Amino acid sequence: MTYIIILIVSAVAQYFLPWWVIAPIAFAICAWKSKTAFGAYAAAAGAIATLWLGYAFYLNSNNDGIMLHKIAGLFSENIKFLKNLPVTPTYFLIMAIIGSQVAGLSATAGYHFRQFFK
Amino acid sequence: MKFVKFIISLLAAAGLTYALNRPLGAVPALGRLFSPFEGFWQNGESKLALPPTNLQLEGVMEEVDIIFDDNRVPHVFAKNDHDAYFTQGFLMARDRLWQMEFYTLAASGRLSEVVGERALELDRYSRRMGMADAAKKVYENGKTNKIFDEVLNAYAAGVNAYIKQLKYKNLPVEYKIIGYQPEEWSPYKTILMMMNMRNVLNGGSDDFRMSNALSKYGMDVVKDLFPNYPSNESPIIPTGTKWNFTPVQVPAVPAQTTATLSTSETVAFSVPQHSPEIGSNNWAVGGEKSATGLPILANDPHLQLTLPSIWYQMQLCTPTMNVYGACLPGAPGVVIGFNKDVAWGVTNVGSDVMDFYQIKFKDNSKKEYWYNGEWKATSMRVEEFVVKGRPESLKDTVFSTHHGPIVYNSASDKNINQNVPVGHAMRWVALEKEGTDLMAFYYLNRAKNYDDYRKALTYYVAPAQNFVFASNQNDISITPNGKLPLKWKEQGKFIMDGSNPAHDWQGWIPVDQNPTVKNPARGFVSSANQFSTDPTYPYYLGWRFAPSERAIRINERLEKMQKATVDSLRMLQNDNFNVEARRILPVLMKILNADSSETKNPAYQTLAKWNMKNDANEVGATIFERWIKELRYIVFEDEFPMKDLKSPMTYPSRNRMWDMVVKEPTAKWFDDVSTKNKQETLQDVVKHSFKASIDSLTLKHGSMNPENWAWNKVKSTDINHLGRLPGFGRQDIPNGGGAGIVNATTELNGPSWRMVVQLDKGWPKAYGLYPGGQSGNPASPFYDNMIDKWAKGELNELFFMKSKDEKSSRILGTVKIIKK
Repeated sequence: MTYIIILIVSAVAQYFLPWWVIAPIAFAICAWKSKTAFGAYAAAAGAIATLWLGYAFYLNSNNDGIMLHKIAGLFSENIKFLKNLPVTPTYFLIMAIIGSQVAGLSATAGYHFRQFFK
Repeated sequence: MKFVKFIISLLAAAGLTYALNRPLGAVPALGRLFSPFEGFWQNGESKLALPPTNLQLEGVMEEVDIIFDDNRVPHVFAKNDHDAYFTQGFLMARDRLWQMEFYTLAASGRLSEVVGERALELDRYSRRMGMADAAKKVYENGKTNKIFDEVLNAYAAGVNAYIKQLKYKNLPVEYKIIGYQPEEWSPYKTILMMMNMRNVLNGGSDDFRMSNALSKYGMDVVKDLFPNYPSNESPIIPTGTKWNFTPVQVPAVPAQTTATLSTSETVAFSVPQHSPEIGSNNWAVGGEKSATGLPILANDPHLQLTLPSIWYQMQLCTPTMNVYGACLPGAPGVVIGFNKDVAWGVTNVGSDVMDFYQIKFKDNSKKEYWYNGEWKATSMRVEEFVVKGRPESLKDTVFSTHHGPIVYNSASDKNINQNVPVGHAMRWVALEKEGTDLMAFYYLNRAKNYDDYRKALTYYVAPAQNFVFASNQNDISITPNGKLPLKWKEQGKFIMDGSNPAHDWQGWIPVDQNPTVKNPARGFVSSANQFSTDPTYPYYLGWRFAPSERAIRINERLEKMQKATVDSLRMLQNDNFNVEARRILPVLMKILNADSSETKNPAYQTLAKWNMKNDANEVGATIFERWIKELRYIVFEDEFPMKDLKSPMTYPSRNRMWDMVVKEPTAKWFDDVSTKNKQETLQDVVKHSFKASIDSLTLKHGSMNPENWAWNKVKSTDINHLGRLPGFGRQDIPNGGGAGIVNATTELNGPSWRMVVQLDKGWPKAYGLYPGGQSGNPASPFYDNMIDKWAKGELNELFFMKSKDEKSSRILGTVKIIKK
């Protein structure tokens, strides 16, 4: 349930607000809902990973991956080992890690916030 | 314990979020960049994306229709001129905003604000040149012309209407990667954009290098090796054309024509050399030479090729005009194009319009300088640089004399510690304050006949261009045009004396006495940046223009051409014949030939069989081009070092070198002065350079075979991203050509727009394309969609609409702009 709420609220919020709004959203919802620290982390990280992967997948396939490959070209010129990795999975993974870690850590902080005041 | 857990997890979460939301050195803010809601994913345009069918915008007076064709070229139908230029600004911003702003940052010396330290030297140079300052004054003067002011303001309003509704997620991806935001547009920025063109096309000088050669070898050698007119030329205005005017008095050549360089002085100039690759071709054949009986006009301006592309195609239709052509992002109107009745195009005029004066200051404060027997006050300006990544801004003091700004580079800055410091002031046509250049295009866009063309040209200042023209009244014409200084012979060939009034620029060639020709007997007009005229023209324009090979080839082919069609002119644009090889290869081969061991060399045999065309797959072209480069280096680098830091010079022209090879085979210049007890002969340097060429080609490309040594592989044309973002350009484009070839495609330069227009009493037929695409978005299918066709030398038929109601399968969609 926490997972669904975070997914929906952050989808709507990110449409109007900067990307980092996922942090306070995960924090607040997990402070309110979560029973365990791991549960908070998993729900928020999972929700943002799902949302970002899903939306990025949609945008990327609409564009035949042209933008993604250009960005990949830019990064691999500066960070050489990226050259040897398959572009699509690598960059989707990087993105998922960024989004899920920000959300997951914020959710954990939210859970501990609640515990502190309990 | 609970508190500690909370604090630690909060710090971790907040820390990570913060870190991902801000750039780290060159790495952009990764969280924002990767977020699919805001970051680069949002720039991934879907295949045939068009804006919504209706746009409500503040700033239009009436409804505007924009029809997009299958190449995503917008055709703008407006009910008044204001709305047309407003819409042009809006559309260019939509497709090219980042590029437009980048040019203005470059011209005003502000690049380091967005890219940091690495652009600082370039910025210092641009600021010292004073382009930003000049742009402000140009606009102040220009806006007294009501039309000029209205056009520029309408255009700026359109750009700003686009910027205003931009959110971060829709920003061009370059802003996201580099990490900055667009600023408001203004007429001043359009002028800056034009300044950028003036700098690219007119911003080179050989004065300092020539002065070095003069002080080392004396006037006789310089006169011999650096003549004022080449032995081999085919000037733009055909030889023998009568000058139908009474020339004004040309200033007398003063007794002393150069500055007296003191030997204690070390000036290092970072001013770029005159660059012959930045040239262009244009021509028009008259009705008697064409299959239709009416003129056909062709133009291909050569510039450094970039993505987003230099040009943007558009049709603008209002009650006062209906014009189609190539536009410059950042500037209103069409620069190279056609309408129902006329077509026109431009190539660069290589006249000497940037001169340097040696200035003697009274003391280190540089407040006064010696001029005409007395101390004269300089003016001073402090330039401030905000550099990304630097906590404090930097300052640079720029002094100006009545000639112009004092320009020297950092190396010499440190050296100016003497009691009587010496500086160099620059006089440059690009800093001229009256600048209604855009009005020339405004009137050309609306021109109906030859007289309109002549009138339009009077508005043009700089960079001087060869304006070719053709009309459906069967007139053709070409005019090297712009503001040209009235000089004594050889004025500004060397650094001049800033204290001597006779060395000042003393006026201008009357604009109606600029060289021009209308309907010449030979039935065509053409230009390829060569000398504007033969030496009978009463005024001195400069001593070094682009080498004549392209001009010679174009003129000999047009000479023979009968019943010319669009396709015959298109083929000429793609002509790869090497005129230089025709002239000199047999001579060089004969020298090699004398030694039987050379004739067995496979490289020799390849050259012997070569068809003298720089086609993409030719190995002969690879060897020849490398060889003459090597030969020129070996012959001249010892005596006229180009790369010498202290006293750089320039080589005599290739034309002069070939004259020497043929007529003066025992000239002392063939000797390598660095070998003490040996006297090298022409034979030695020819053999040596041939061997060195083969060795260096082998080293770089492996042993000779048709694949690795193919000309296109070795030349390897790249179209890089304007901001040098790796992965955003296109590399190794397969095509032929070369610097002295009509198809002037080199490593980085080439035809930036190719156009052929067949005039007609009814409706013209036009063809064209450029190596890129309409969209500046690297993720758009229209970012680089014309490159492959361009490389093959094909052209697109341009869709020139008669009215907005015209039906065609080429129409992709229509957008209306409605007044808000």
